[in-house]
Amino acid sequence: MTKYVVKRLLLMIPTLVGVAVLVFFLMRVVPGDVVELRFAGESSFASKENLDKERARLGLDKPLWKQFVDWMGGIARLDFGVSMWTGAPIIEEIRLRFALSLQLAIMSTLIAVLLAIPLGVLAALKQDTWVDYAVRIFSIAGLATPSFWLGIVFILMLLIVFKWLPPMVYTPFWVNPVQNLAQLIWPALAVGYRYSAVAMRMTRSAMLEVLREDYIRTARAKGLWEKLILSRHALKNAMLPVLTVIALEFAFLMGGLVVTEQVFNLNGLGLLFVESVAHRDYTLTQALVLLVAAVFIFVNFLVELAYAWIDPRIKFR
Amino acid sequence: MRHSLASRWLSLVVLASLSCALVGWLAARSFAQDKPRSGGELIFVVPSEPPSYDAHREETFGVIHPLAPHYNTLLRTDPFDRTGTKPVGDLAESWTVSKDGRTYTFKIRKGVKFHDGSELTAKDVKASYDKIVFPPQGVASDRQGQYTNVEAVQALDPNTVVFRLKFPQGSFLSSVASPWNWIYKADILAKDPRWYETHVMGTGPFTFVEHVKGSHWVGKKNPNYWDKGKPYLDGYRAIFVKDSAAQVAAVRGDRAHIQFRGFSPAERDSLVQALGPKITVQESPWDCVLLVALNHEKKPFDDKRVRRALTLALDRYQGSQALSKIAIVKEVAGVVVPGTPFATPPAELEKLAGYSRDIAKSRAEAKRLLKEAGVPDGFSFTFKNRGIPMPYEPVGVWLIDQWRQIGVNVRQEVVEAAAYYGQVLRPGNYEAAMDFQCGYIVEPDLDVYKFQSKEISPANYSRYTDKTLDDLFTKQSRAQDPEERKKFIRDFEKRLLDDEAHYLYTLQWHRIIPHSARVKGWTITPSHYLNNQLDTVWLTQ
Repeated sequence: MTKYVVKRLLLMIPTLVGVAVLVFFLMRVVPGDVVELRFAGESSFASKENLDKERARLGLDKPLWKQFVDWMGGIARLDFGVSMWTGAPIIEEIRLRFALSLQLAIMSTLIAVLLAIPLGVLAALKQDTWVDYAVRIFSIAGLATPSFWLGIVFILMLLIVFKWLPPMVYTPFWVNPVQNLAQLIWPALAVGYRYSAVAMRMTRSAMLEVLREDYIRTARAKGLWEKLILSRHALKNAMLPVLTVIALEFAFLMGGLVVTEQVFNLNGLGLLFVESVAHRDYTLTQALVLLVAAVFIFVNFLVELAYAWIDPRIKFR
Repeated sequence: MRHSLASRWLSLVVLASLSCALVGWLAARSFAQDKPRSGGELIFVVPSEPPSYDAHREETFGVIHPLAPHYNTLLRTDPFDRTGTKPVGDLAESWTVSKDGRTYTFKIRKGVKFHDGSELTAKDVKASYDKIVFPPQGVASDRQGQYTNVEAVQALDPNTVVFRLKFPQGSFLSSVASPWNWIYKADILAKDPRWYETHVMGTGPFTFVEHVKGSHWVGKKNPNYWDKGKPYLDGYRAIFVKDSAAQVAAVRGDRAHIQFRGFSPAERDSLVQALGPKITVQESPWDCVLLVALNHEKKPFDDKRVRRALTLALDRYQGSQALSKIAIVKEVAGVVVPGTPFATPPAELEKLAGYSRDIAKSRAEAKRLLKEAGVPDGFSFTFKNRGIPMPYEPVGVWLIDQWRQIGVNVRQEVVEAAAYYGQVLRPGNYEAAMDFQCGYIVEPDLDVYKFQSKEISPANYSRYTDKTLDDLFTKQSRAQDPEERKKFIRDFEKRLLDDEAHYLYTLQWHRIIPHSARVKGWTITPSHYLNNQLDTVWLTQ
């Protein structure tokens, strides 16, 4: 087990290096640069000389390979540099948004799990009854409804019916829990609903498959209590694919909620991501891509570890 | 009978007294409402965010809106003047201009203190302007080009600053009223000229409290502000909101009082409909305009007959009526913002090519010119537009429709906003393309600077050389007499838009600010860079 964990952790390094190479060169292919955008733009007075000076200050005049080596050298020392747009350390730029994105991802996941697993199991147990149909309609509606659209509906409803709008500035949970939840519960509900729809359908189909297995029939034949069969034998085994879906969605939420963040004016990683690309802020975009890649890899790694805990038949080699 | 008369007389007296009392009460009430009230926190949304804190190097209003209340400038535009063209003293108490128009002497107010408690002197003004006009190595100054005429800045004594110019400049006072030219502390600049990129320390009506990147900016009342009794607000909070729907929701949901840049007509209407008397709407022509750059280095746009035909095809008056309902454009204008001192009167404007109200006649002339230039019917070209929906998209669609009316088929190619200037305009990679002009002060020098020959103006994207135009620019810029200056501006405008049709003006932007009716003491101007110091702003209860 320890050997496996170490091996997997070491394998993360070449994956991340691959991502780093890809994002570094892809960003350079995109037309325009940060200096052009920030100082030339619509200005009538921008001179080529001043733009060149600014490029030199940011190191953009160096050959590409040199820029890449410098950047990788910094990463090896865990120094991600400074944002080319704001001049602030990248760690600070990300730290500010990370807490909100993480909390929103956790809240959405909780809502999704709380909805998906009981309803998915119920639909499987009551297959082809009105309960099953109702759950399936609920989940298909969730799949068909973009979370940002649901977010807009929430905002309009709050504005028109209750003449109230969620707070627009993030307050950490430990500073003011009420204010914090008043802001984040709405996007969490909008995102969590769509997220639950995916997991709900996966839970239902996995449960249906497991409920037809021989060991369930055997358990029932032995006269085991139905609740015990469901929780200990059926649900636990059905959880493997569901866990994968939930984990991948969680990783996606860490940087992929661009439009929802825009609708609710949330200062999260998704918006930072879009802005960094729009500003051609190479250093920040590169760091964000690396962060999201690392989250994906790490979450996958945790899922694999969880597999062994859920299903002891799985052995690590 | 007598009794009846006396009774009537008495009734009249009582009625008159009551009326007087009512009028008096209403007047007093109205006066009380108009009298500035101290207290409260102004909350406004900002659709952009400051990349750094140094206004001398930045060019986004995202710096001005949250940070301007921390600073003063030497002059400012009168905060109550809707034209935004009247310079008044800010840190300068008074000023004089030498007879030859080349020396400006400013007397600096006494008793002005920086937020750290130190006193402001002429040395600080000189250091700030030296940074703007003659930036040291490694320091960027975005508007250095506006001050190439400044020969030297001198601090004669602690309260006197002198600007010596290379030649007279009619716009110099307006240039000194630029909202970007914040006065910094000389000692700090001497130690680190880039200190202000990451720190805030001015003499303005509000002191800095906090900036949470991507979220908000907070300022609080400066109790030692030199203008006694001001500011009225206890503080302000700027919330950064990129999405326009979220900005509207913020005002509608009472999470913000105002957004100082502008909303679209549809957004204004939705706010008015939802909030009724709780919302006040201020509107003004905006010192921004979308232009069509016609690349003189590509045929047939090197032929002025073709360029004139393209401007003659535009029915600007009908376009104004239709587009102003859906986009932030409205006024039909020349090179200067309508309603401001140097603007061309409408009757005179109608004499220019493409500004006549007889559109049938204009289009017939356009067709004749195209034929004379040898351009076949059904001629087609690609029009490149910037990938920004409002107002580029509707104006682009309108242009294509207008050109179709004279038998020209145009294909629109939308280029991503971030790559537009670097990939399209600057390298001249287009036949015709949308260009943009926006002034931070309402001043002809700024509005027409870009139209000088390409050898002088790097922003001349039509890529022409026109020495006559350059000469007219210089004449209008150096004219001391406003009437004389007006004449040169008219000549410049006629040559640019009519005789040579180097550029095509579409419609002037229209600034719409719907804000909470509680906000008082703020006056709209044609520039969203002006009037953001907030010292005159107050909130009703």
